[in-house]
Amino acid sequence: MSTNELNLPDFNIPSELDGKVAITTLDRVYNFGRRSSIWPMMFGLACCAIEMIAAQAARYDMARFGMEVMRPSPRQSDVMIVAGTVTKKMVPAIVRLYNQMPEPKYVVAMGACASGGGPFKEGYNVVAGIDKFLPVDVYVPGCPPTPQALVAGMIKLQEKIDKQSISKVRWYQKGGDSVEVAVPFLGPDLIDPRRIPEIKAKAAELATPSAQNAPEK
Amino acid sequence: MYGQGLIKGLSVTFSRFFESYTEDIRWLFKRYSKVEFHSSKDTRGTFTIQYPEERLIIPEEFRYVPFLVYDEGENGEKNIRCTSCGICAKACPPQCIWIVRTSDPVTGRPLPQPAEFYIDADICMNCGFCAEYCPFDAIKMDHDFEIASYTRNLLNKERLMKPASYYAGIRPKNNAREEAARAEKAAAKAAKP
Repeated sequence: MSTNELNLPDFNIPSELDGKVAITTLDRVYNFGRRSSIWPMMFGLACCAIEMIAAQAARYDMARFGMEVMRPSPRQSDVMIVAGTVTKKMVPAIVRLYNQMPEPKYVVAMGACASGGGPFKEGYNVVAGIDKFLPVDVYVPGCPPTPQALVAGMIKLQEKIDKQSISKVRWYQKGGDSVEVAVPFLGPDLIDPRRIPEIKAKAAELATPSAQNAPEK
Repeated sequence: MYGQGLIKGLSVTFSRFFESYTEDIRWLFKRYSKVEFHSSKDTRGTFTIQYPEERLIIPEEFRYVPFLVYDEGENGEKNIRCTSCGICAKACPPQCIWIVRTSDPVTGRPLPQPAEFYIDADICMNCGFCAEYCPFDAIKMDHDFEIASYTRNLLNKERLMKPASYYAGIRPKNNAREEAARAEKAAAKAAKP
């Protein structure tokens, strides 16, 4: 980052110090560091993964943005590119991986399937969008998005990071712990633990017929 | 002999690697500043597209999320070509098109233009069937791929509408063919008594 980019426009630097001194905020330095080293997690789910690999390879080269280090471990990664169809069998693993990622963590839903289910939105074995479970930061439409579209999405994520402030971010607040998403489990169908009270209430309601539902004598 | 395929494949990789150096010498490093050169089928060797600053030239038949074509009237009004017939919504394999029809408030009869038109870009699979099936050339596939956003991409009518001149700009050959077909149709209609 050049000093011109780093400088805040509100402060005038004397001409003799021009180009030697930069007045900036901690936020900008902090965000510059973060936005220039977003390490994605290395996993692909379907055909979008091919485009993600192409975006990482020589022709589009995401290393230009500091995103070249695809970490095979969630502990070392900052962003999760959900690239492809999210099947019900895969969701518990994805949510567990998300929980294992350290803060700050971001999720990019790449492609139609990960953002909204895509052509499989009514499929018996497909989750209609990863946003049903994880807080998605950037949605990249396309089926699949071209490498350039993915890079555009990642630049959008960088813009989001630029807007965050070190004093307001969740992970430095008191009691602002890492976001833990309840891991769904696969029964006869996918069961979301967050909905268990609701399911139990519904079951109890069905078990004890109320006055209006009871058959007349 | 075992390993023949391996050697064959690796030789392709190596020749690409080698070519990027011979190309550098041949073009005296000028090839890095020419996107036109990278986009052609004669390009050799490896190179990087510096994406936000330079873009690959998009071929005419490239398709992304659809958009609605409107004709510009004399007073700058937007005459949308769509008649809300719903053929695109029926043809759409993932069913991502939602059309609300207009009806005349006095007579209650349907009017040939959509009141609302939604395309869920997060479901659209860019197949181009809607553009293929549309009898009025009203819905076409876009070239603009930079529509990533922080929320779900539910595109409404205002967001989808783009002028006919934009369509002619991105797909000149297709547009010329369709214009000719429309003119022929109009001539045949005028010739009939």
